[in-house]
Amino acid sequence: MSDTPVLKIKNLQAKVAEDELRILTGLDLEIKPGEIHAIMGPNASGKSTLAKVLAGHPGYEATAGSVVFQGEDLLELEADERSQAGLFLAFQYPVEIPGVSIANFLRTAVQSRLTDGDELDIFEFSDQLTERMEMLDMDISFAERHVNDGFSGGEKKRNEILQMAMLKPKLAVMDETDSGLDIDALKIVANGVNALVEEDPTMSILLITHYQRLLDYIKPHFVHVMVAGQIVRSGGPEVALDLEAEGYKMYEGFESSANGNSPVTTA
Amino acid sequence: MSDALVTDSVARALSVESLERVSRDEPTWLKERRSHAWSVYEATPMPTTKLEEWRYTDLSKKLDLETLSLSEAETAPDDPSAWPARLRATMDEDHAASGHIVFIDGHVVHADLDSDLASQGVVLKSLHEAVDSHAELVQEHLATEALPPEEGKFASLNAALWVDGIFLFVPKGVQLELPIRVTRWLSEAGTAYMSRVLIVAENHSQVSYVDEVVSNDFTTQMFTSTAAEVIAKDGAQVQFVSVQRLGRGSFYHSVQRTLANRDATLDTLNVGLGASVTRVDLNAKLLGPGATSDMLGLYFGDGSQHFDFNTSQDHTVPNTSSDLLYKGALDGASRSVFRGIIRVHEGAQRTDAYQTNRNLLLSNDARADSLPNLEIEADDVKCSHGATVGELDADAKFYLMSRGLDRVQAERLVVLGFLGEVLARLPLGGVGEKVTRVIEEKLAQHV
Repeated sequence: MSDTPVLKIKNLQAKVAEDELRILTGLDLEIKPGEIHAIMGPNASGKSTLAKVLAGHPGYEATAGSVVFQGEDLLELEADERSQAGLFLAFQYPVEIPGVSIANFLRTAVQSRLTDGDELDIFEFSDQLTERMEMLDMDISFAERHVNDGFSGGEKKRNEILQMAMLKPKLAVMDETDSGLDIDALKIVANGVNALVEEDPTMSILLITHYQRLLDYIKPHFVHVMVAGQIVRSGGPEVALDLEAEGYKMYEGFESSANGNSPVTTA
Repeated sequence: MSDALVTDSVARALSVESLERVSRDEPTWLKERRSHAWSVYEATPMPTTKLEEWRYTDLSKKLDLETLSLSEAETAPDDPSAWPARLRATMDEDHAASGHIVFIDGHVVHADLDSDLASQGVVLKSLHEAVDSHAELVQEHLATEALPPEEGKFASLNAALWVDGIFLFVPKGVQLELPIRVTRWLSEAGTAYMSRVLIVAENHSQVSYVDEVVSNDFTTQMFTSTAAEVIAKDGAQVQFVSVQRLGRGSFYHSVQRTLANRDATLDTLNVGLGASVTRVDLNAKLLGPGATSDMLGLYFGDGSQHFDFNTSQDHTVPNTSSDLLYKGALDGASRSVFRGIIRVHEGAQRTDAYQTNRNLLLSNDARADSLPNLEIEADDVKCSHGATVGELDADAKFYLMSRGLDRVQAERLVVLGFLGEVLARLPLGGVGEKVTRVIEEKLAQHV
């Protein structure tokens, strides 16, 4: 594995665009190619805000710090440019796009990655889509359904992984992908992610989750605990197991000290 | 100015002289019908915004009938090489058809029909010719039961002064696999074009009819009025599609009446893309038990375009259904008005009637007014109506952009997806693709 990080976050602070309240209060994180990181934290700790800020959601604003993605200043890029650069966000709440079929959507997305003047090979695309859908145990008729329109929670999450499989990112940020999934759906989703990692061992993953459960199926190399907008503890998989045993209570004290003060880290 | 010119301009004004000119060689019954319509026209005041149905379309500002001349009597040749390139391009884009009508500057210049269908008794021709060749049918149905001149100022004007039209007759049990395609071209500024469509589908017949009108932009106002009467007899299945792609400077007015008899299906689709002002008055009558109508509409406005759709669904007997869906996207400073009413008449039990109008505003200066209404005089019915005016969903846009689509592509997908629901409800060879392409062209102007 290369030593150059795919993602390097330094002292990132961020807020909701039309609000003064800081949600990220000085976050540091470094992810190298092929690494799987998990960020865990209680509700309202800023986990999903981190995901949205990384993906370039217009409703959030970075107020300080830096994010370097594969050598580029990520915060300078529009959402579509971040995707083109190899970043992928699996949404916690995938958005419904009525009237737009998954096949049409993915075709447009894959086409947008080609250099100007190149035409998408429609047969190749179609074969690839079929193969990816089989991998995720999705019926091929799914491709003609409208994006997330009337989907069950499990179908929406599977659709996120399908998009990830088609777009082949360098870094996938997965925001609460386990929420709303029963155990069978969780296994399918996790198997899909693991198959993608196996295919491209340099792909990195940032899992954002509230529960340990997902980490039984996608094994992280590093686990971080996030409280009040910053990372308060980093370590190996044992961090998640501690959390599972003790809950977030042990980090409650961090909330006041973390807010606005220097980050507290234990490794 | 020479005397000849003066005489010509008088004869071509929307006047009783024009009435005499257009009806000169016609049979007495038709002369009488026109002259009755003219008297209704003269007795009917021009609608003002004081009338609920015209509240948002101020004719005193948008239309000046005084300055218009009725279209010329000359007919273009039936020779495609002499037709305008845009007309031919419009036809080239179409898929296969059972028959064609080409309408240039108010006259039918070409008609063709599959020979098998012709031998089965299907008729597709200029209304003028049909007045002679199918006098009985035309006399029975033209401007009588479906759209009498008493229906309003424009209905009476059209019934008096129509210059040409289309007659389509499908005999009992005959089914047309492919649609009839009509392509119209209008070219003269300052001109009023008046035409009619009469479609009679006999028992258990089946036909689709697609009528598209195209023009360039006009420097002085062009006015076109079309009156369509569509009659589906028992068990007949009829699809009526109108696609309006006129240039700016056009005032497009279309009055449509559909009659669905017992177990008939009569579906309509109105697509509004062009013209400066569009007004569609559509009334669907469900006249026999088992009759059903899908009523679809789609519009995309930009610049200062103005669309006004005025619809009504009349359920007069038990066990009928209608389902209306009109959707539009509005960019620039364009504006739309949708006014719809479901009328369930006394005794029309077990009526299913629905009405939905949805608008998507793509700009801060665009505006949509939606006025759905119900009038129910029966107690065992299922009816609903709904209207929405929304903006482009920012979350949807972000979601698509996070997959690498740029802003323009993301907006395009959301808008086409929104409007596509309408086209998906009436899949007719090639219409959806053509309409989608035109919308894409309009969307490309979006900033």
